[in-house]
Amino acid sequence: MKKIYNTYILLVSIVLLVSTTANAQISKVEIRATGLTCSMCSNAINKQFKKLAEVDSVATDLNTNTFVVYLKKDNKLSPNVFKESVEKAGFFVGSFEVTMPLEQLKSNSNYILIEANEAKSNNDVVVRIFDKGYVTEKEYKKLLKSYSKTATYALNNEADYHIKIIN
Amino acid sequence: MRAIIYIILLIANTLIVSAQLKIGDNIPNIVLKNQNNVGMNINQNNEKFILIDFWASWCGPCRLGNKKLVKLHNDFGANKINIIGISLDTDKLKWIKAIEKDKIKFTQVIDPKGFDAKTAVLFGVEELPSKFLFNKKGILIAINPTEEEIMKYLN
Repeated sequence: MKKIYNTYILLVSIVLLVSTTANAQISKVEIRATGLTCSMCSNAINKQFKKLAEVDSVATDLNTNTFVVYLKKDNKLSPNVFKESVEKAGFFVGSFEVTMPLEQLKSNSNYILIEANEAKSNNDVVVRIFDKGYVTEKEYKKLLKSYSKTATYALNNEADYHIKIIN
Repeated sequence: MRAIIYIILLIANTLIVSAQLKIGDNIPNIVLKNQNNVGMNINQNNEKFILIDFWASWCGPCRLGNKKLVKLHNDFGANKINIIGISLDTDKLKWIKAIEKDKIKFTQVIDPKGFDAKTAVLFGVEELPSKFLFNKKGILIAINPTEEEIMKYLN
Protein backbone atom coordinates (compact mmCIF):
# COMPACT_ATOMS: atom_id res chain seq x y z
CA MET A 1 0.00 0.00 0.00
CA LYS A 2 2.79 2.37 0.96
CA LYS A 3 4.58 1.62 -2.25
CA ILE A 4 1.54 2.46 -4.31
CA TYR A 5 1.18 5.70 -2.39
CA ASN A 6 4.81 6.62 -3.04
CA THR A 7 4.48 5.92 -6.72
CA TYR A 8 1.37 8.09 -6.73
CA ILE A 9 3.25 10.99 -5.15
CA LEU A 10 6.08 10.58 -7.61
CA LEU A 11 3.64 10.58 -10.52
CA VAL A 12 1.83 13.66 -9.24
CA SER A 13 5.07 15.54 -8.80
CA ILE A 14 6.21 14.62 -12.29
CA VAL A 15 2.89 15.80 -13.73
CA LEU A 16 3.10 19.03 -11.75
CA LEU A 17 6.66 19.63 -12.82
CA VAL A 18 5.90 19.03 -16.48
CA SER A 19 2.80 21.18 -16.42
CA THR A 20 4.52 24.11 -14.74
CA THR A 21 7.34 24.13 -17.24
CA ALA A 22 4.76 23.98 -20.03
CA ASN A 23 3.00 26.96 -18.51
CA ALA A 24 6.12 29.06 -18.15
CA GLN A 25 5.16 31.00 -21.20
CA ILE A 26 5.00 34.56 -22.38
CA SER A 27 6.48 37.10 -19.99
CA LYS A 28 5.91 40.29 -21.95
CA VAL A 29 3.90 41.48 -24.93
CA GLU A 30 4.50 44.66 -26.93
CA ILE A 31 1.63 45.83 -29.07
CA ARG A 32 1.24 48.79 -31.38
CA ALA A 33 -2.44 49.45 -31.93
CA THR A 34 -3.93 51.16 -34.97
CA GLY A 35 -7.35 52.56 -35.74
CA LEU A 36 -9.22 55.59 -36.95
CA THR A 37 -8.45 57.57 -33.81
CA CYS A 38 -5.34 58.03 -31.66
CA SER A 39 -4.97 54.71 -29.84
CA MET A 40 -2.88 56.15 -27.02
CA CYS A 41 -5.46 58.89 -26.41
CA SER A 42 -8.00 56.30 -25.26
CA ASN A 43 -7.96 54.39 -22.01
CA ALA A 44 -9.95 51.55 -23.59
CA ILE A 45 -7.08 49.25 -24.61
CA ASN A 46 -5.33 49.75 -21.28
CA LYS A 47 -8.54 48.80 -19.47
CA GLN A 48 -9.03 45.63 -21.51
CA PHE A 49 -5.48 44.47 -20.69
CA LYS A 50 -5.89 45.22 -17.00
CA LYS A 51 -9.07 43.12 -16.90
CA LEU A 52 -6.94 40.00 -17.46
CA ALA A 53 -5.97 38.43 -14.14
CA GLU A 54 -2.66 37.23 -15.63
CA VAL A 55 -1.55 40.76 -16.43
CA ASP A 56 0.93 42.19 -13.96
CA SER A 57 1.21 45.73 -15.32
CA VAL A 58 0.71 47.77 -18.46
CA ALA A 59 3.06 50.51 -19.59
CA THR A 60 2.88 52.79 -22.58
CA ASP A 61 5.79 53.88 -24.71
CA LEU A 62 4.65 57.23 -26.08
CA ASN A 63 7.57 57.53 -28.49
CA THR A 64 6.69 54.35 -30.35
CA ASN A 65 2.94 54.37 -29.55
CA THR A 66 3.33 50.93 -28.03
CA PHE A 67 1.58 49.20 -25.16
CA VAL A 68 3.95 47.05 -23.11
CA VAL A 69 2.15 44.37 -21.12
CA TYR A 70 4.03 42.50 -18.38
CA LEU A 71 2.57 39.13 -17.40
CA LYS A 72 2.59 37.16 -14.19
CA LYS A 73 4.69 34.01 -13.97
CA ASP A 74 3.33 30.69 -15.22
CA ASN A 75 0.40 32.20 -17.05
CA LYS A 76 -1.28 30.22 -19.79
CA LEU A 77 -2.18 33.14 -22.05
CA SER A 78 -1.61 32.87 -25.74
CA PRO A 79 -1.15 35.87 -28.07
CA ASN A 80 -4.71 35.77 -29.45
CA VAL A 81 -6.07 36.88 -26.04
CA PHE A 82 -4.27 40.23 -26.43
CA LYS A 83 -5.33 40.62 -30.04
CA GLU A 84 -8.94 40.14 -28.94
CA SER A 85 -8.50 42.71 -26.15
CA VAL A 86 -7.29 45.31 -28.64
CA GLU A 87 -10.20 44.55 -30.97
CA LYS A 88 -12.73 44.66 -28.11
CA ALA A 89 -11.47 48.17 -27.36
CA GLY A 90 -12.27 49.14 -30.94
CA PHE A 91 -8.75 49.10 -32.38
CA PHE A 92 -6.56 46.83 -34.48
CA VAL A 93 -3.10 45.38 -33.95
CA GLY A 94 -0.41 47.00 -36.07
CA SER A 95 2.51 45.04 -34.66
CA PHE A 96 2.82 42.35 -32.04
CA GLU A 97 5.97 41.19 -30.23
CA VAL A 98 6.21 38.49 -27.61
CA THR A 99 8.95 37.73 -25.10
CA MET A 100 9.24 34.09 -24.01
CA PRO A 101 11.88 31.55 -23.02
CA LEU A 102 13.73 30.07 -25.99
CA GLU A 103 12.99 26.55 -24.72
CA GLN A 104 9.30 27.30 -24.78
CA LEU A 105 9.53 28.51 -28.32
CA LYS A 106 11.36 25.37 -29.42
CA SER A 107 9.02 22.95 -27.68
CA ASN A 108 5.76 24.54 -28.78
CA SER A 109 4.84 23.46 -32.30
CA ASN A 110 2.27 26.25 -32.61
CA TYR A 111 5.10 28.71 -33.14
CA ILE A 112 6.29 28.39 -36.70
CA LEU A 113 9.49 30.13 -37.74
CA ILE A 114 8.73 31.83 -41.02
CA GLU A 115 12.35 32.61 -41.74
CA ALA A 116 15.25 30.57 -40.49
CA ASN A 117 17.03 32.84 -38.04
CA GLU A 118 18.73 31.97 -34.80
CA ALA A 119 18.17 33.45 -31.39
CA LYS A 120 21.09 35.42 -29.95
CA SER A 121 20.22 34.50 -26.40
CA ASN A 122 19.64 31.17 -24.76
CA ASN A 123 17.15 32.56 -22.28
CA ASP A 124 14.40 34.93 -23.32
CA VAL A 125 13.74 35.65 -26.95
CA VAL A 126 11.62 38.33 -28.56
CA VAL A 127 9.58 37.22 -31.54
CA ARG A 128 7.26 39.14 -33.83
CA ILE A 129 4.03 37.55 -35.05
CA PHE A 130 3.14 38.00 -38.71
CA ASP A 131 -0.28 36.35 -38.94
CA LYS A 132 -3.47 38.03 -40.13
CA GLY A 133 -4.69 40.38 -37.42
CA TYR A 134 -1.19 40.76 -35.93
CA VAL A 135 0.10 43.05 -38.67
CA THR A 136 -1.72 45.77 -40.62
CA GLU A 137 -4.07 44.59 -43.37
CA LYS A 138 -1.75 46.13 -45.97
CA GLU A 139 1.30 44.33 -44.59
CA TYR A 140 -0.59 41.04 -44.45
CA LYS A 141 -1.46 41.22 -48.15
CA LYS A 142 2.21 41.69 -49.01
CA LEU A 143 3.27 38.88 -46.67
CA LEU A 144 0.77 36.46 -48.24
CA LYS A 145 2.78 36.74 -51.44
CA SER A 146 6.21 36.60 -49.80
CA TYR A 147 5.33 33.57 -47.71
CA SER A 148 3.40 31.63 -50.34
CA LYS A 149 5.91 28.79 -49.89
CA THR A 150 5.00 28.36 -46.24
CA ALA A 151 1.92 26.21 -46.59
CA THR A 152 0.50 26.92 -43.14
CA TYR A 153 0.68 30.72 -43.48
CA ALA A 154 -2.37 31.17 -45.69
CA LEU A 155 -4.44 28.76 -43.60
CA ASN A 156 -4.97 31.35 -40.85
CA ASN A 157 -5.19 28.68 -38.19
CA GLU A 158 -5.89 30.56 -34.97
CA ALA A 159 -3.61 28.39 -32.84
CA ASP A 160 -0.60 28.80 -35.16
CA TYR A 161 1.73 31.74 -34.92
CA HIS A 162 4.11 32.52 -37.75
CA ILE A 163 7.05 34.30 -36.26
CA LYS A 164 10.47 35.80 -36.76
CA ILE A 165 13.01 36.04 -33.97
CA ILE A 166 13.82 39.68 -33.42
CA ASN A 167 16.07 39.50 -30.41
CA MET B 1 -25.03 34.90 2.70
CA ARG B 2 -25.55 35.23 -1.02
CA ALA B 3 -27.87 38.18 -0.49
CA ILE B 4 -25.22 39.97 1.56
CA ILE B 5 -22.64 39.48 -1.17
CA TYR B 6 -25.08 40.86 -3.73
CA ILE B 7 -25.76 43.91 -1.58
CA ILE B 8 -22.04 44.53 -1.09
CA LEU B 9 -21.47 44.21 -4.83
CA LEU B 10 -24.35 46.58 -5.52
CA ILE B 11 -22.98 49.21 -3.15
CA ALA B 12 -19.48 48.81 -4.57
CA ASN B 13 -20.92 49.23 -8.03
CA THR B 14 -22.76 52.46 -7.23
CA LEU B 15 -19.61 53.80 -5.61
CA ILE B 16 -17.65 53.18 -8.79
CA VAL B 17 -20.36 54.82 -10.91
CA SER B 18 -20.67 57.85 -8.64
CA ALA B 19 -16.91 58.38 -8.81
CA GLN B 20 -17.45 60.04 -12.18
CA LEU B 21 -18.60 63.61 -12.48
CA LYS B 22 -22.14 64.09 -13.85
CA ILE B 23 -24.05 67.06 -15.23
CA GLY B 24 -25.33 69.06 -12.25
CA ASP B 25 -22.36 68.19 -10.01
CA ASN B 26 -20.26 70.90 -8.40
CA ILE B 27 -16.72 71.52 -9.53
CA PRO B 28 -14.42 69.64 -7.12
CA ASN B 29 -11.73 71.37 -5.10
CA ILE B 30 -8.51 69.98 -6.50
CA VAL B 31 -5.15 71.64 -6.15
CA LEU B 32 -2.61 70.85 -8.85
CA LYS B 33 0.70 72.45 -9.71
CA ASN B 34 1.17 74.79 -12.65
CA GLN B 35 4.30 75.08 -14.80
CA ASN B 36 5.93 77.31 -12.15
CA ASN B 37 5.30 74.67 -9.49
CA VAL B 38 2.61 76.80 -7.84
CA GLY B 39 -0.46 74.98 -6.51
CA MET B 40 -3.72 76.09 -8.18
CA ASN B 41 -7.25 75.16 -7.18
CA ILE B 42 -9.26 74.24 -10.27
CA ASN B 43 -12.33 75.61 -8.45
CA GLN B 44 -11.53 79.25 -9.07
CA ASN B 45 -14.84 80.42 -7.62
CA ASN B 46 -14.89 83.84 -9.27
CA GLU B 47 -18.30 84.03 -10.96
CA LYS B 48 -16.96 83.00 -14.36
CA PHE B 49 -17.51 80.00 -16.54
CA ILE B 50 -14.80 77.38 -16.12
CA LEU B 51 -13.71 75.11 -18.94
CA ILE B 52 -11.52 72.20 -17.88
CA ASP B 53 -9.58 70.58 -20.71
CA PHE B 54 -7.77 67.27 -20.15
CA TRP B 55 -4.91 66.79 -22.58
CA ALA B 56 -1.33 65.54 -23.03
CA SER B 57 1.59 66.70 -25.15
CA TRP B 58 1.74 63.39 -27.02
CA CYS B 59 -1.96 63.49 -27.96
CA GLY B 60 -2.29 64.81 -31.53
CA PRO B 61 -6.00 65.70 -31.39
CA CYS B 62 -5.35 67.60 -28.11
CA ARG B 63 -2.67 69.73 -29.71
CA LEU B 64 -5.05 70.69 -32.52
CA GLY B 65 -7.66 71.44 -29.85
CA ASN B 66 -5.18 73.72 -28.05
CA LYS B 67 -5.16 76.05 -31.06
CA LYS B 68 -8.93 76.46 -30.76
CA LEU B 69 -8.72 77.00 -27.00
CA VAL B 70 -6.04 79.67 -27.46
CA LYS B 71 -8.36 81.43 -29.91
CA LEU B 72 -11.29 81.12 -27.51
CA HIS B 73 -9.17 82.56 -24.74
CA ASN B 74 -8.01 85.45 -26.94
CA ASP B 75 -11.53 86.20 -28.21
CA PHE B 76 -13.30 86.18 -24.88
CA GLY B 77 -10.42 87.15 -22.68
CA ALA B 78 -10.32 86.06 -19.09
CA ASN B 79 -13.40 88.17 -18.32
CA LYS B 80 -15.99 85.57 -19.13
CA ILE B 81 -14.31 82.21 -18.93
CA ASN B 82 -11.44 80.58 -17.12
CA ILE B 83 -9.88 77.91 -19.26
CA ILE B 84 -7.85 75.41 -17.26
CA GLY B 85 -5.78 72.81 -19.03
CA ILE B 86 -5.04 69.67 -17.02
CA SER B 87 -2.20 67.71 -18.55
CA LEU B 88 -1.86 63.96 -17.93
CA ASP B 89 1.73 63.98 -19.22
CA THR B 90 4.15 61.90 -17.21
CA ASP B 91 7.07 63.92 -18.57
CA LYS B 92 6.85 67.49 -17.24
CA LEU B 93 9.44 68.86 -19.64
CA LYS B 94 7.45 67.74 -22.67
CA TRP B 95 4.38 69.37 -21.16
CA ILE B 96 6.16 72.71 -20.64
CA LYS B 97 7.57 72.60 -24.18
CA ALA B 98 4.09 71.95 -25.57
CA ILE B 99 2.65 74.92 -23.63
CA GLU B 100 5.30 77.16 -25.17
CA LYS B 101 4.91 75.76 -28.65
CA ASP B 102 1.12 76.04 -28.61
CA LYS B 103 1.42 79.58 -27.11
CA ILE B 104 -0.98 78.80 -24.28
CA LYS B 105 -1.64 81.77 -21.98
CA PHE B 106 -4.51 80.32 -19.92
CA THR B 107 -4.01 78.36 -16.70
CA GLN B 108 -2.13 75.08 -17.04
CA VAL B 109 -1.75 72.45 -14.35
CA ILE B 110 -0.49 68.87 -14.39
CA ASP B 111 -1.54 65.58 -12.81
CA PRO B 112 1.34 63.53 -14.15
CA LYS B 113 0.05 59.98 -14.00
CA GLY B 114 -1.67 59.41 -17.35
CA PHE B 115 -5.16 57.92 -17.18
CA ASP B 116 -4.41 56.71 -13.63
CA ALA B 117 -4.17 60.32 -12.38
CA LYS B 118 -6.61 60.97 -9.52
CA THR B 119 -8.18 63.94 -11.28
CA ALA B 120 -8.73 61.91 -14.46
CA VAL B 121 -10.38 59.13 -12.46
CA LEU B 122 -12.56 61.60 -10.54
CA PHE B 123 -13.78 63.26 -13.73
CA GLY B 124 -14.16 59.88 -15.46
CA VAL B 125 -11.76 60.74 -18.28
CA GLU B 126 -11.47 57.78 -20.66
CA GLU B 127 -10.04 59.57 -23.68
CA LEU B 128 -8.09 62.66 -24.58
CA PRO B 129 -9.01 65.39 -25.14
CA SER B 130 -11.93 65.63 -22.69
CA LYS B 131 -13.68 68.87 -21.80
CA PHE B 132 -15.91 69.85 -18.89
CA LEU B 133 -17.81 73.16 -18.84
CA PHE B 134 -18.96 74.59 -15.51
CA ASN B 135 -21.30 77.61 -15.21
CA LYS B 136 -20.72 80.71 -13.07
CA LYS B 137 -21.94 78.85 -10.00
CA GLY B 138 -19.46 76.04 -10.58
CA ILE B 139 -22.03 73.49 -11.72
CA LEU B 140 -21.15 71.08 -14.52
CA ILE B 141 -23.36 71.96 -17.51
CA ALA B 142 -21.67 70.19 -20.45
CA ILE B 143 -19.24 67.35 -21.14
CA ASN B 144 -17.19 67.63 -24.34
CA PRO B 145 -19.07 70.66 -25.68
CA THR B 146 -18.19 71.89 -29.18
CA GLU B 147 -16.78 75.39 -29.63
CA GLU B 148 -20.16 76.58 -30.91
CA GLU B 149 -21.86 75.25 -27.78
CA ILE B 150 -19.33 76.97 -25.53
CA MET B 151 -19.82 80.28 -27.39
CA LYS B 152 -23.60 79.98 -27.03
CA TYR B 153 -23.22 79.78 -23.27
CA LEU B 154 -20.85 82.75 -23.20
CA ASN B 155 -22.82 85.11 -25.45
